[in-house]
Amino acid sequence: MSGLGAWLQERIPIRGAQLQELTNEPVPHHLKRWWFALGGTPAYLFVVQIATGILLAFYYQPSAASAFESVRYITEEATFGWYLRSLHKWGATLMIAAVILHQMRVYFTGAYRRPRELNWVIGMSLLLCTLLTGFTGYSLVFEQLSFWGATVAANISDAVPVVGGFARQMLLAGDGYNERTLSRFYILHAAVLPTTMIILVAIHIAFIRLHGVTELKFEDEPDDQPRHFNFFPDHLLTELMIGLVLMILLSALATIFPASMGPKADPLTTPEVIKPEWFFYVSFRWLKLFSLTFAVLSTGFIVAAMFLWPWIDRLLRRITGVEEISVYVGIVATFLLIGLTVWEAAVTH
Amino acid sequence: MPHNTDTRDTGASADDESRRGFLERTAAVAMAGGLAAGYGTLAGHAVRFLYPADTGAGVWQFVCTLDRLGVGESLSFTMPSGARVVVARQSADDDAEAFIALSSICPHLGCKVHWEANNDRFFCPCHNGAFDARGAPTEGPPAAANQHLTRFPLSVQDNLLMIQVPLDNVTVSDEEATA
Repeated sequence: MSGLGAWLQERIPIRGAQLQELTNEPVPHHLKRWWFALGGTPAYLFVVQIATGILLAFYYQPSAASAFESVRYITEEATFGWYLRSLHKWGATLMIAAVILHQMRVYFTGAYRRPRELNWVIGMSLLLCTLLTGFTGYSLVFEQLSFWGATVAANISDAVPVVGGFARQMLLAGDGYNERTLSRFYILHAAVLPTTMIILVAIHIAFIRLHGVTELKFEDEPDDQPRHFNFFPDHLLTELMIGLVLMILLSALATIFPASMGPKADPLTTPEVIKPEWFFYVSFRWLKLFSLTFAVLSTGFIVAAMFLWPWIDRLLRRITGVEEISVYVGIVATFLLIGLTVWEAAVTH
Repeated sequence: MPHNTDTRDTGASADDESRRGFLERTAAVAMAGGLAAGYGTLAGHAVRFLYPADTGAGVWQFVCTLDRLGVGESLSFTMPSGARVVVARQSADDDAEAFIALSSICPHLGCKVHWEANNDRFFCPCHNGAFDARGAPTEGPPAAANQHLTRFPLSVQDNLLMIQVPLDNVTVSDEEATA
């Protein structure tokens, strides 16, 4: 046994103590509250998505002629296909929800402030990548709603000044949805976006390690308590518990509400009631309220403001002198977000 | 690259140093420039590769003879993709201007409009856009932005009405979709 240990030690020249030193970040005490561990949740779900996604890719065929049929095969004939597809679908839903919750936690605790502005920008990029992956993935099913959702989205990009026409051509591989469109969505969904996200997550975590987690102190924390605890094994166990709960939740959702199939995409008929996935309800309602140009420009403005929020926040604090100005803006934005989403969900048109 | 270990007369060394420094900098810039140009060209080719090749404006197809359509009458023309185009006659003239061919694609975001006979309008279910019988916007985002239904190019050759249609749209041949 020690022979094997020595053999390994020679080939992988790192000691247990060094490994522990490398991974053992002191974790601030407030991370014992579970909502501060929300950053690990999307990361965990991302791994679930990669695993289930690779499995689904064994059967999926990204062409207009066979995509729908291959998804039907996965759902109805492949052994446990319905379960894996449902896990992938619910994993996406929970991942987007988790990313939004994590971002809200970071926002309302001001954890994006100096010197962590760049990590907020990385996080915003991850949010956009997550939404794009959700959108392209939904399009792959090639059912009526996902087909028309993709058509609408591609035409929205057309309204973006200067680069819009180019973006639409690049996304659709032509003026409209054609035989070469679906393979674009597929390669973006299964290769380009996940690779980008893996790189961004690595940078995101590297930044957290370099800066350390934002120190927060709660009023009900006694002063004599230690301010930090070890990442390994204490925090890792917290994350594992969250992972276990997520797996149970995912499995339950997949079993009770399995992913279904709508009618197959019909390029000749737009369905009478058309809705995007729930996470785009906000922008869909926004599009109905305003002219296309205004809706697109204002959305672009809001996204840009979100990216630059750490600096805008600083400017606002300096001008107004109100330290919690971002909290008030955040409350208004959250109500707007929920309000528009509920509005879109509640009505047919 | 083997390092230059040449030892020289100390008198000329300052000059040599600056000359060598200049050459080194020039070589570095040239190499970096060459690499950037090479990979840049490759990236350019990649973008050109990903940008869809031009499929042309489409083909001209026969619609009907001119006497088939009276003023105020319309017919439904089926494109190669299966999509339907409304072709109507607006005046008694015998040129292409007398006719109108309306696309069923909403100019807002590309959904399909359908004719609502009870409301006398084309309606788009995506964002509640509406158009009158001549394709002019009446409600919703298209009205806000004054977007008309697209017209297909028409021409008259030897008393025959011709329409120019694109060939590149996706066609779903499966029976499930059309059923």
